[in-house]
Amino acid sequence: MSIEVEVDESDLAEMVEQVWESYLDPEGVSPLIPTYDENQPSEVHSSVSITGSWTGHVVYASSRAAAVRAAAAFLAMDLDEVSEDDMSDTLGELANIVGGNVKAMLPPGSQLSLPQVNLTPESSARFPNTQRIGGVYGVWEGEPVSVSMWQSRIDNKEEGA
Amino acid sequence: MTPMRAMVIDDSRAMRMILKRIVTKLNFEAVEAGDGKEALDLLADMTEVPDLALIDWNMPNMNGLEFVTKVRADPRLREMTLVMVTTESEQSQIVRALAAGAHEYVIKPFTEGAMIEKLALLGLVPTGANS
Repeated sequence: MSIEVEVDESDLAEMVEQVWESYLDPEGVSPLIPTYDENQPSEVHSSVSITGSWTGHVVYASSRAAAVRAAAAFLAMDLDEVSEDDMSDTLGELANIVGGNVKAMLPPGSQLSLPQVNLTPESSARFPNTQRIGGVYGVWEGEPVSVSMWQSRIDNKEEGA
Repeated sequence: MTPMRAMVIDDSRAMRMILKRIVTKLNFEAVEAGDGKEALDLLADMTEVPDLALIDWNMPNMNGLEFVTKVRADPRLREMTLVMVTTESEQSQIVRALAAGAHEYVIKPFTEGAMIEKLALLGLVPTGANS
């Protein structure tokens, strides 16, 4: 059985803001500035899957420069100290945090997967039978960053059945 | 004076580094584990039990809830303060963790200040350590 997702773009935006306040911009000097452009480019992405009352994916995507900046902020490093592993770990944790907060807004009983990290553009992501249902799209220090939700089409079919 | 010891248990190296940075700033000696099983293995080899464990919920091999349950069943580890640090923020999950024996619950994302306040409430750091 499936339900209509209860998480809207303003909820996602609030979660993203909390992530920025907590880890990426604790001083409040470089927020994510909305672009509302769901087609903005990315070079890397990470995702977590949610199954249960709602089935889909939460995807964090950004340019490589934004991912390095995120890792530097997350890990309190200089930009030139950030390794590929640092960047991957940070991308995974960012997807995990936002995905976990999305799951918390769904009816109880959903499961959250461990994060998957791909150092490739979000456009290369393969989430079979899904459609993007919303997201937060912006630039951070001039670099593209997005967090989007992808819903399984199987859910939709069941709802319509 | 013997420094306090903290164990940071999270499969995310990035999150371990953040938590380690916070507890080190509070003068804890910190050890890391990537999941509950690794943490139990480390604890089995320790002669002195850490004062505090910061525990993620969703981890491979052994999750945080299983870890808490096993620690609470072991008299040798009874004195260790257990704090769940997780994205699992459903009320039912919080209740499960506290019922299993966790002392506190911190939901990700958290600020450094919020974490320090929780540890102060548990009496592990002086009140006002955040200021």
